[in-house]
Amino acid sequence: MARVKNWQLGREMSYWYPESRPKKQFAAIFDTNKCIACQTCTLACKTTWTSGRGQEYMLWNNVETKPYGFYPLGWDVKLLAELGSQQWNGSVYEGRTVFEAARPGERALGWRPGEQDYAHPNVGEDDCAGNIDKGAAFAGVHMAWFFYLARICNHCTYPACLASCPRGSIYKRPEDGIVVLDQSRCRGYQECVKACPYKKVFYNPMTGTSEKCIACYPKIEKGLQPQCFVNCIGKIRLAGFISQPEDANPDNPIDYLVHVRKLAKPLFPQLGLEPNVYYLPPVHVPTQFSQQMFGPGVEHAVREYMHADADLAGLLGLFGSTEQIVPRWKRTGDFVYGLAEDGTELVKVPLREPIHERLALDPKFDVMRTNCP
Amino acid sequence: MKSSRIVLVVSLTAAVGLPGCSQSQPIVAPVEVVVQPSTVELPDDPLDARWDSVVAFPAALIPQDMVEPRQLRVSTREVRVRALSDGVRVAFRLEWSDATRDDMPMPAAFTDACAIQLPAAISADVPAPQMGEPDRSVEITLWRASWQATVDGRGDTIQDIHPNAVPDHYPFEAASLESGSDIQRAMQQRYAPARALDNPMSGPREQPVEDLIGHGPGTLAPAATTSSTGRGKRVADGWAVVVTRRLPEGLASGKRTQVAFAIWEGGSEEVGARKMRTGWAPLLLEVKP
Ligand code: SF4
Ligand code: SF4
Repeated sequence: MARVKNWQLGREMSYWYPESRPKKQFAAIFDTNKCIACQTCTLACKTTWTSGRGQEYMLWNNVETKPYGFYPLGWDVKLLAELGSQQWNGSVYEGRTVFEAARPGERALGWRPGEQDYAHPNVGEDDCAGNIDKGAAFAGVHMAWFFYLARICNHCTYPACLASCPRGSIYKRPEDGIVVLDQSRCRGYQECVKACPYKKVFYNPMTGTSEKCIACYPKIEKGLQPQCFVNCIGKIRLAGFISQPEDANPDNPIDYLVHVRKLAKPLFPQLGLEPNVYYLPPVHVPTQFSQQMFGPGVEHAVREYMHADADLAGLLGLFGSTEQIVPRWKRTGDFVYGLAEDGTELVKVPLREPIHERLALDPKFDVMRTNCP
Repeated sequence: MKSSRIVLVVSLTAAVGLPGCSQSQPIVAPVEVVVQPSTVELPDDPLDARWDSVVAFPAALIPQDMVEPRQLRVSTREVRVRALSDGVRVAFRLEWSDATRDDMPMPAAFTDACAIQLPAAISADVPAPQMGEPDRSVEITLWRASWQATVDGRGDTIQDIHPNAVPDHYPFEAASLESGSDIQRAMQQRYAPARALDNPMSGPREQPVEDLIGHGPGTLAPAATTSSTGRGKRVADGWAVVVTRRLPEGLASGKRTQVAFAIWEGGSEEVGARKMRTGWAPLLLEVKP
């Protein structure tokens, strides 16, 4: 095991290979507060990549309803239970990662979902985490809560899938940090399926190999965002590239939200993979739950989000506004601009969309309008 | 001097062995795998009665606990090996106990399997028994129960695993695509990337075995072609598998090389490096009488 720097843990940790960061690192930000669980992203991915035999059950992108929704069943709680109670000391993680907690003879702590665990994606999950007393719906207070968690492969800096493959069939692309599984080399051992804490590698029983999200790299190579990003109805997603905290560039929208404003948080950073999909945490969820899921600093993130200033509100408006990757941004007055590396304007978004009032009564025909088709 | 004494022991014990597979075990266990000569076609059926008169070598299995992921639990303890040769090819018959048939390809399900390993070059100085070394390779032939099931007729669809599964639609089965046309086939391949890249793992299969080359742990690679054949069947308490491959180059009658075996018990999640294996055992190509 090598010693590597994991900035999300605020410390060094043990990893199977020495630190070797790519030239650029693909990263994404998902706004949990805007997701409506329409699953358009799931279908966009499914139709693009996983419509073949043996891929029937695979969801490289899935959206689950937390706290009781999972795909596969119990993916996070099972691992957290195996890992046991761990501690943060401020922003420094004092617990053990999945690499540090590996059992004898193993490369990472993990578990294997069985077929049944994949059998009910997002079925019956939209139930509140408690009973709603009569009248509670009108009280203006959340007596019970849930939220939607959209998930793809995190294209981790320290992927457990990569570390666990005894054949070295998984690699991180040096040009963009996307983690890919070599389909010509894989022999279907499913070690990666066991080791990935996020369960984002899937075994294909027809081809006998494992498959995973490729962040639509043919699109990334053309400067375009992946399918699940551009098809997102709720416009919750933004793809780009992230810097190390010490190199953070406020003009880069990902750096700005993750490093400068510290608003976007990684998913289960304590597992030690330095995942590169970041989340704007849900605003209405008990802090304890959010903290376990998104690490320290969620209270700050929620506060900032709830009181977004013009820059922040403007930047969030760039989400889902263009198919192109927006490496730079700026706000001027009431407009936010998405810019190319050389400063060329890619997209312009108003801070506030104009309001159109649609009267209930159509004055021309003198009939009441209805929203039903 | 020592080796000729061993041959004597083997021949003697073979001579006193009673007919019938289960009864042919010598009183003193042989200390090497003796490839007995055969003047007729090699039996490819593990239940062929001709195997009954071939002496079985009981190879003790140990867990692969040298490289991660390690096998830390002892599962299959022994594989009984018989071997016959027609002077060109060698047929190995492996039999081991395994209470469950594991041959379904599914998430978190693993297949029963066995493998035979020989040094690529005959030498007194053998490569490491764990898949060889960078400059001293080993030749491996792998048999898998899941491949056997495919060769025996199990189809290539989700319904072959789950008869009641109902997939909505495959794009390559759209009515607008002529079935079997180039466009249709290309589209089907697009959703089977391992097949598109000719990964030999990805099927469809004509043989339940694959020839492989190893240069050390983690280096296993398919041989240029698979010339070996195989056939496995369930027997009363496990599997009996015949794997027939070419005789190691340079192995003349009366000469020796080394051989090693591995067994995977799918039901115990054994796959890849998680396996029970032997060390090298001497292998003698017996002189024709
Ligand atoms: S999320 Fe899982 S599959 Fe994706 S890079 Fe990380 S460990 Fe690998
Ligand atoms: S398309 Fe967007 S809004 Fe719809 S479920 Fe996916 S992430 Fe949520």
